[in-house]
Amino acid sequence: MRKYLFILKATLMENLQYVWNILLGFITFFMLLFVFMNLWDYIYSDSGNLISGYTKDQMIWYVILTEMIWFSCRNATLSYQISNDIKSGSIAYSINKPYNYIAYIIAKHLGEIAIKSLLFLVAGLIIGYGFLGSLPPVHLYQLPAILVTLVLGTFINTFLKMSISVLSFWIEDATPFHWIYDKMIIVLGIMFPVEVFPLWAQPVIRATPIFVVTYGPAKLIIDYSSGMAVRVILSQLIYFVISLSFLLFIYQRGVKKLNVNGG
Amino acid sequence: MLTAAKNQFRVILLSLKYNIMREMTNRASFLTNVLFMVLNNATFLIQWQLLFHLKPEIGGYAFHEVMVLWGLAASTYGFSHILFQRAFQLPPLILQGKLDSFLVQPKNILLSVITSATNSSAIGDLIYGYLIIVIFRFSIPNLLLFTLFTILGGLIMAAFAVITGSFSFWLVRGDLLSDNLNNVIVNFGTYPDSIFKSGVRLLLYTIVPVGFVVYQPLHIILNFNLTALLGVIAFTLGICLLAFFLFYKGLKRYTSSNLMSARI
Repeated sequence: MRKYLFILKATLMENLQYVWNILLGFITFFMLLFVFMNLWDYIYSDSGNLISGYTKDQMIWYVILTEMIWFSCRNATLSYQISNDIKSGSIAYSINKPYNYIAYIIAKHLGEIAIKSLLFLVAGLIIGYGFLGSLPPVHLYQLPAILVTLVLGTFINTFLKMSISVLSFWIEDATPFHWIYDKMIIVLGIMFPVEVFPLWAQPVIRATPIFVVTYGPAKLIIDYSSGMAVRVILSQLIYFVISLSFLLFIYQRGVKKLNVNGG
Repeated sequence: MLTAAKNQFRVILLSLKYNIMREMTNRASFLTNVLFMVLNNATFLIQWQLLFHLKPEIGGYAFHEVMVLWGLAASTYGFSHILFQRAFQLPPLILQGKLDSFLVQPKNILLSVITSATNSSAIGDLIYGYLIIVIFRFSIPNLLLFTLFTILGGLIMAAFAVITGSFSFWLVRGDLLSDNLNNVIVNFGTYPDSIFKSGVRLLLYTIVPVGFVVYQPLHIILNFNLTALLGVIAFTLGICLLAFFLFYKGLKRYTSSNLMSARI
């Protein structure tokens, strides 16, 4: 475990050198938020106070929070490094090192997103406060449950994205599958809370990663209830076990297919 | 002059042909990229269905009109990234001194550079754009206008990418600025202009030309206006000339990195 913590720390220190790069990457984050906030502002302009049980402020906070979560989790290491390692054959140099390749990638990814997450959190709160003039009504006693859901959501997303990348053992380029997963989260998970979907679609959405990665944590921040906290954490634990087991299973199967020529 | 232009056009087409052949080396991967890009774009149909379920019109547009907007955004993106993919990758070529191999070619340098690669998934974007116009607003005049605006919008996007990419001749971190400015076109171009306040709309017709890539073409397809059409054509010519001017001005500052590389 200590070696993985060291990898995490080393990556984190490396990323601290590039804070300006991270900050310039914020421009896309601001642009998307700006578009979404304008869209919801327009939709709420002549409707009543509530849409699917959400006030305008809650809806905009929901979009800000889910986008914050998503932008914090996004990382080229998950989407491209594994695929490139497999495609180029350089994974052969990683799997014979005295660490587990999967654990190494997870530690590296967490090290890379640690600073980014913190910066996105601050930026999102500033933008939300600037636009709406108030912060989400979070009480101190709610923070532990919210933090647990944020951490579990990050891990689940990591395992799912890695599972998609590991598909490169069978198909040369896993990028198209990343597009579909990303779009599912962006289109269905960032813009709309589950309640906005038609009634027949809501159980389906609740069974997808959207519920555990973006909706759950964001819903707890804007409208906390202990019942919902228990439900989200339980769903996340189930997803955590299943997605990790699936990742390890297909990785083991994939490595057996590995055939490296030359040196 | 005319012969030179004809030859240059033939070189561009040949370049496109070989780029696509290279992309098709792995046929399964190529087809997956194209097909999944169509599916990827289609996910936004759900987003707009949901939004129109909440409000019958958005920014004064009906569902099928927003779909045409989406179709234009996809097809212009597709056209520009199929033909001029390298226009969007100029900064690393400039910063790492990788333009050398293009400088010694007997044809136009800028065109040689920007047509030297193709993004295979952009074919999916172009197909999606045409599927949308056929499904939601099919008529022969609309199809012709859509094709014209796909070409004009694609040229504007590529020219804008060359302009922002050319900043790298002067700025060290010009690549980040260029990426972000190009993202503005993609992010704003898929939402109706009327949801934004007038100040933002002004920016979208000036600093970042989203207005001429998708908004104005959409207005013309919905309500034909010859003056507006001529305006889009004039803007396209203007921005293309500006792109050539800035690239060649910047090229005088270019320094090679002595990097040995091969173009395969």
